[in-house]
Amino acid sequence: MMQQAKEFYRKYKVIVWIVLVAVLAVLPFVIKKAVYIRYLCNIMMYATLAGSLNAINGYSGQFCLGQAGFFAIGAYTGAALAKNFGISFWPLLIVGGIMAMLVGFIVSLPTLRLSGIYLSIVTLGASEIIRIIAQTWEPVTGGSLGIKQIPYPNFFGLDMFKPQYYYYIFLFLLILFLFITNRVLKSRVGRAWMSIREDEIASKSLGVETSRYKSTNFMYGAFWAGVIGVAYAPFVNYIEASQFTTDTGFNVLAMVVLGGQGTLAGPILGSVVVTVLTEALRFLESWRYVIYALLIIFMMWVRPQGLIGASNSMLAGGKIKVKEDKKKGGEAK
Amino acid sequence: MAYILNQLINGICQGSIYALMAIGYSVIVGVVGMVTFTYGEIMMIGAFSSYYIFTGLSNNLPLAILGAFAGSFIIGSIVYKLCYERFFNAPRHISLLCTIGISMLIKNLAQIVFGPDTKPVLNIIDNKTFTLNLFGANLNIRLLQIVVIVLVIVFAVALTLFFNKTKWGVMLRAVSQNKDASYLMGINVKRTALLGNCIGCGFGGIAGILLALYYGSVSATMGASYSTKAFAASVLGGLVDIRFSALGGLCIGIIENMGIIITSATFRDVFAFAFLILILIIRPQGFVSKKGARV
Amino acid sequence: MKKRVLALTLAFTLAASALAGCGGDKKEETKAPETKAAGEETKAPAGDDEKEETKAPAGGDEKEETKAPADGDEKEETKAPVASGESKGVIKLGGVAPMTGQYAEYGKGFDIGFSKAIDEINAAGGVNGYTFEISIEDTQSDPVNSSTMATKFAEDEEVMAILGDFSSGACKANAEICDRYGIVQLSPTASASDYASMSKYCFGIMGRQDVEAPFLAKYVLKEYLKAQKIAVIRVDSDWGKSCYDNFIAQAEKEGLEVTVETYATGEKDFSSLITKMQAENPDVLVVMDQGDPVADIFNQADAAGWEIQHVALGPGTSEQVAGRLGDKDNLIVTSPFFFDPEDAELAAWAEWFSSEAGFAPTIHPACAYDCIYLIAEAVKNIDGEVTRDALQEALANLPEYTGVTGAIKFEADGDIKRNYLICGIEGGEWKVLEGFEYGAAGF
Repeated sequence: MMQQAKEFYRKYKVIVWIVLVAVLAVLPFVIKKAVYIRYLCNIMMYATLAGSLNAINGYSGQFCLGQAGFFAIGAYTGAALAKNFGISFWPLLIVGGIMAMLVGFIVSLPTLRLSGIYLSIVTLGASEIIRIIAQTWEPVTGGSLGIKQIPYPNFFGLDMFKPQYYYYIFLFLLILFLFITNRVLKSRVGRAWMSIREDEIASKSLGVETSRYKSTNFMYGAFWAGVIGVAYAPFVNYIEASQFTTDTGFNVLAMVVLGGQGTLAGPILGSVVVTVLTEALRFLESWRYVIYALLIIFMMWVRPQGLIGASNSMLAGGKIKVKEDKKKGGEAK
Repeated sequence: MAYILNQLINGICQGSIYALMAIGYSVIVGVVGMVTFTYGEIMMIGAFSSYYIFTGLSNNLPLAILGAFAGSFIIGSIVYKLCYERFFNAPRHISLLCTIGISMLIKNLAQIVFGPDTKPVLNIIDNKTFTLNLFGANLNIRLLQIVVIVLVIVFAVALTLFFNKTKWGVMLRAVSQNKDASYLMGINVKRTALLGNCIGCGFGGIAGILLALYYGSVSATMGASYSTKAFAASVLGGLVDIRFSALGGLCIGIIENMGIIITSATFRDVFAFAFLILILIIRPQGFVSKKGARV
Repeated sequence: MKKRVLALTLAFTLAASALAGCGGDKKEETKAPETKAAGEETKAPAGDDEKEETKAPAGGDEKEETKAPADGDEKEETKAPVASGESKGVIKLGGVAPMTGQYAEYGKGFDIGFSKAIDEINAAGGVNGYTFEISIEDTQSDPVNSSTMATKFAEDEEVMAILGDFSSGACKANAEICDRYGIVQLSPTASASDYASMSKYCFGIMGRQDVEAPFLAKYVLKEYLKAQKIAVIRVDSDWGKSCYDNFIAQAEKEGLEVTVETYATGEKDFSSLITKMQAENPDVLVVMDQGDPVADIFNQADAAGWEIQHVALGPGTSEQVAGRLGDKDNLIVTSPFFFDPEDAELAAWAEWFSSEAGFAPTIHPACAYDCIYLIAEAVKNIDGEVTRDALQEALANLPEYTGVTGAIKFEADGDIKRNYLICGIEGGEWKVLEGFEYGAAGF
């Protein structure tokens, strides 16, 4: 069945995409309840954020735990500039992204010498440092008071405060992200990232400047986290440092791993599953997160490589796949 | 001067608790070979075990330590079964996400079972303060601080002896160095890894009770911030070497408290992490002297 | 392959069940038949949406204009339940509270406080023929969650007011939504100085720090304790900051010598701060925080063998903080109220709460309890239709009301100023410390 679906997708790729985008575009007209639109906004926002983390973890095999930090940089840059200087939302998307990218570059400097878990703790530490700076740097970030009443984006005079309008911003960003990332991955850069993921020494021997590509990879992931951060700030209308704790980062990581690292669709599906689960389990009241946690563990047991994990990569679950194939006598293929 | 020395004592005391956490963490990472984010909750379980012994039975410190060790040991075995055993050959991030899941599970269960409020742990050790006159400067050392530091030293030494002098210790070291080779040598790798994980968790539990004693309270959400501290301290020491991890913990504790002399406590974590990053830039493997040195 | 399909099906089943389940989400305590609600939903937004869309660009930023038509809209919609209802109908309220996570303790307190007040009012036959109903949604006091839930309630035309959230941060995130939809957000606990002024629909009854903190400086420290050198340890949050800013302004007027230290939320180790403060050799140690750290700091100060007068700003006469203190009798707090054991009603309330929650009440659930009564009081003062705007107006113009937590009268910006007492503990019981003249006069 899966095979057929894939075949179908390959044949009618463009049509599938057009239909999908068209359905998503008219959704706000079908769903009248702003709450559901807000859920969809959350899903798309986290999908892009998870995608940006996936660009790092899934494609170059570096293990970043501090995506919340880059996200915070974008959110604070956007909010502070919009609030204090009245700069329009749209150019800020780029500015916020670039700011996050610069920070990503700084964070990536130690990564030239580090790998694996050492790298993870550096990104985790950097994310915490960013959060504490946001908490204390009063003139810019509002310190512990945060930044409130962040101006909503303005689209040719339309004040985009309603979730219905916001929906299109997030949809636009998500599609833009997927499109560009897809192009990048198919370019020389993307292939270099993936070669690093599969075997760093081998790719070095083939003339790939691994340290440069690892650094650009970090910057690329950080850029998108920053962009989505800029969009996030007016969406919640109020930002403070406590929104960017490491837990936020772990939450995004959970989406990436659940959905499947190293695939474009994985983080989106992960975001859908996580958002829907946490909302659907509301009726459990205080047991909600207990059951949610159990479901995460259960999913990892059933599908360690994520819901749509890439089966063609070592780091995205390849080893497990091989083991299972052996057991079942290659039943899968 | 006296002030700085007093802060140093605070730093050493806090650092020694961090050291104990880092030791437990290193044992887990060393033997199992995978990082964990459940450690904070393990410590919380240890702290609560001791809390219930204090309130339910008696103010008996050794008994409470035993209880904390046992409580965390048991939870450790569950964590092992759920997060590690299945995923030895899988990519690292899978077991990592499982530990994040377990951490969420334990934290939320604890809020339901133990209640969401913070509970006091007081008067287990008398509020006595010794004043030491050192070159004209008055040093205040609390009895509690002495107890904490002594306990940490005792347990660190005991663990080192266990690793070096017993058969199980040798097996644990072997597994931590090379799983395949130990398997070929006839060691039951899975069982040994389980034991290593549980011992590491047990030490986390003891660190938990020390935290409870030192800060005077326990709550279901207490673990969160210490999990990353233990991780950082352990990385600083090179992840798998217990002596260097202990040193890493001590350093972080002292750096944090010294940083407070210059600025405010809000920046505590900035000092800890900036120090970590700095050290990692200079020495990518942490303090550990040669690459590949193990437990 | 099979597993992949299985997992995917699993995921989508969950997704589908969630979407299906969302519709029935507010079933918690809803007595009104589902069908009626569903019918309403399909009717209402159709008209609402068109208007909103044409309105937004034209109205631009001016709030008054955008609100006026919305007002008319709601009136029509609220007729339905009234017409169909037995007696006059049910007033639905939306509660947003942290039922899980770091602040779960307070969320639980909210839940109990809200429900008790509603049960009492309904048992007494309601107000003006209306009975009340609340459905509480968990937000973890996280702004994203909270604003989603606020949107949910704001959209549901049957919901007349939003009660909550716990943290000022979440309330501030909701303020704009409440303003745009024109629904009251009455927070029992948000006390940030810049919250209530964000919209005319925002109310808070915790009391702002521009009275309590100067009160502390002038009456407690200067006049009651006759202190000169003050050491302040405060939490680095919006609340802590506004406390301290107000405090220091008055302290400078009084000529007090103040040294201050801050710590981050979630901090547990205060030994280094205590050592730092000890080196300053002050007369009084003041802690500004609302919950557990107050007890932690004083306990750790005791453990360090530091004998000093303890003063706390924020926790009020919290039984929980008192219960966790090693040396109780050394603490002085300012409080707008306390559970006076002499007062039978209050004592019964506190006892009832403890038995329900399993822990002693703080001021927070008491405020939650008062919030419901405030709404009821406002409904009492509404002639005719109960609409969101009528409720807002009634709340804003509410004459002084005395609740469990004392007298409440909203200022122009939707916040209140409370009168404060100086309280201490004697023999394990909270007592009002007397023997000198004080009051909130002059602030």
